Amino acid sequence: MLAGFFTLLAFQLLGEVLQRLLDLPLPGPVIGMFLLFGYLCIRGEVPKDLETGSQRLIDLLPLLLMVPAAGMFFLGDQFADQWPGFIAAISLGTLATLVFSALILGWLSKRRQEKHD
Amino acid sequence: MTELLNSPLFALTLALGAYVVSLKLYLRSGRFALLHPTASGAALIALALVLLDRDITAFYQDVNWLLFLLGPATVALAIPLYRQLHLLRDIAGPLLLTTVIGGSFACLSALALAWLFGANQQTLLSLTTKSVTTPIAIAVTEGIGGLITVAVASVILTGVVAIVTVEWLFKKLGVEDDRIWGFCLGLAAHAIGTSRAFERSPVAGAFSSLALCLTGAFTAVVVPLAAQWFAT
Repeated sequence: MLAGFFTLLAFQLLGEVLQRLLDLPLPGPVIGMFLLFGYLCIRGEVPKDLETGSQRLIDLLPLLLMVPAAGMFFLGDQFADQWPGFIAAISLGTLATLVFSALILGWLSKRRQEKHD
Repeated sequence: MTELLNSPLFALTLALGAYVVSLKLYLRSGRFALLHPTASGAALIALALVLLDRDITAFYQDVNWLLFLLGPATVALAIPLYRQLHLLRDIAGPLLLTTVIGGSFACLSALALAWLFGANQQTLLSLTTKSVTTPIAIAVTEGIGGLITVAVASVILTGVVAIVTVEWLFKKLGVEDDRIWGFCLGLAAHAIGTSRAFERSPVAGAFSSLALCLTGAFTAVVVPLAAQWFAT
């Protein structure tokens, strides 16, 4: 498990180094994720340590996210006039995204099937 | 006594306690979406801080190292992405195209709606990542200058809205193919949607994970580039 943590940290560090060296707009951890993905594709399998290590971390995510989410209750007056926009984006935006993507994917896969027939 | 209240020990005990209690509550309620641990646990933490008259910034400093783990957790997402890749084989074209178009739509529709209702620039920046998994959303929002707190809340609430409405919505639309059902839920509602998709079927769950990974990767690349382009 610790060897898995080491791999994750090493790839993040590599991502951060690349981000600074090349002055990339992407966040370091995201670059690290792509590097690890490339490494896995070349290797053709996921090492056991990495599997357990990353699963432990992914299981912990709700706990890690609870802390920043709590900050929402303390946004105070400066955010008071932002709620309508926030709520509209979350509710209507999400419903629209579900409908829109389902229509697109439905249409694309149907078109593809017809081509194959 | 007060120095104990101001210690990382107390802050961490509070965070873990809120986690344990909210997880139990969530499972007891039959996974009722509004009680999702991240939302209900956050409310518990906030309530405790108010009752104890503690400052949220001080609390953040005490549990700062917990947030550090979000970095390696983001890197760890490479593993599910790699694992789900085989699903692309049959319908790679439609799925990738839907990721690009649907992922952009998720971001742009949020921006347009928030802007219409008078949101300021910082709120807009914090809403760009509402449909992507939280570690990526945090990394991206931090990079482009949004409010992490707002970004996390938008991600969680997006997931809640999606899983509460998806059944009814997709029935109306006549979406029955589990692959489409899962993929679109994962695209719109990341990990929260994915756990809901697994409740429908393993196929829906797998396609939802694939969409979660693809949308996260796509957004992580495009949003910072777009933000940089608009800023100059």
